Amino acid sequence: MYAAVRINEIICIGCKKCIYACPDPNVLSFDEETRKVSADESRCKGCGLCVSECPKDAMSIY
Amino acid sequence: MRNLFQVSAAFEDIMPAEYKSLIENGPFGGDKGVTDLGTFKELLEEHPLCAGCGLALSLRLILASLPNPEHTIIVGSTGCSALAFPQAAVHNIHSLFGNQNAVASGLKRALSLRFPDVVKDVVVIAGDGATADIGLDMVMHSWFRQERITTIMLDNEAYANTGGQESGMSQEGAVLNMAPKGKNFSKISVPELAWASGCAYVAAVTPANPRKLQSAVRRGILAARETGSSYIQVYSPCPTNYKFKPNQTIEKVKSREKDGTYQVREYISDEAQLLFDRLEEVKNG
Ligand SMILES: Cc1ncc(C[n+]2csc(CCOP(=O)(O)OP(=O)(O)O)c2C)c(N)n1
Ligand SMILES: [Mg+2]
Repeated sequence: MYAAVRINEIICIGCKKCIYACPDPNVLSFDEETRKVSADESRCKGCGLCVSECPKDAMSIY
Repeated sequence: MRNLFQVSAAFEDIMPAEYKSLIENGPFGGDKGVTDLGTFKELLEEHPLCAGCGLALSLRLILASLPNPEHTIIVGSTGCSALAFPQAAVHNIHSLFGNQNAVASGLKRALSLRFPDVVKDVVVIAGDGATADIGLDMVMHSWFRQERITTIMLDNEAYANTGGQESGMSQEGAVLNMAPKGKNFSKISVPELAWASGCAYVAAVTPANPRKLQSAVRRGILAARETGSSYIQVYSPCPTNYKFKPNQTIEKVKSREKDGTYQVREYISDEAQLLFDRLEEVKNG
């Protein structure tokens, strides 16, 4: 893994904008109970589109 | 129609978990859409397209918008999208570059003979080079003949897969790896060509508005089922060939919409409008 997204679950408001912005399938998922987004880092290519779209700065690429 | 893909009880314990989840909580069954993304296993799997690829994003949203994926056959063509289709859980055919609409026309006719009682959606998904340049002949003639197919163009304004040549869809002045002097004629207005060629439904959309994209895909497919050809163009910027950062793909779309150089638009024939109104009424009871 070279670069991948990390989500701060405390800040995430579950708006799903990142999910609609990700060019790769099955990377980001939405938990309907906690209403938070989580990432499968092994599938992430680290493009950062989700970071650009997140209105709360809850995501970063490391 | 879920039973078409149902796992036989005897094989349940050896089927891959991904396959099972496509059926148990996935797009097969027809009630998932773009707003549900992130809560189910998608039709597309991990693909080799570049980080930040606008085309991959559009494709992912298009596949999530299909109204009836188990009865959809996608006809693709050479280009970047062809690298993603081997990872898609939808029937798909890779046709010779430019021939996609001819292949789709024959396929749709054969399917209506073979399955007269089942609706089979034939959807062409190809690049701008395949659609507006090398396949334009096949594309326009399928419209003239009113073939009941939907044509979707993934418009990245370049021949991306071959390293960056200009296409008819590149903007005037566009400089690419293999167009160093800049393109010297303007972007082709394919939506207007489609409308003048007799398409029942035409739309130009972007992945920056997934709901609008989904509505266009669904309308296009419904129009093709009931009235005639349909065409949908999806702006899908390419960070690799246009040399912007992969995290700017959506910004790029929005700025092009804002400055008017990529206009989201829709043309609906009277017949198609009647169809949409009728379906809307049924939906709302
Ligand atoms: C008959 C034929 N001519 C040319 C090619 C070479 N070729 C492969 S991909 C491609 C460009 C595709 O451009 P486009 O349709 O815009 O798709 P993109 O890669 O941009 O998604 C070309 C010219 C080919 N494979 N077959
Ligand atoms: Mg292209």
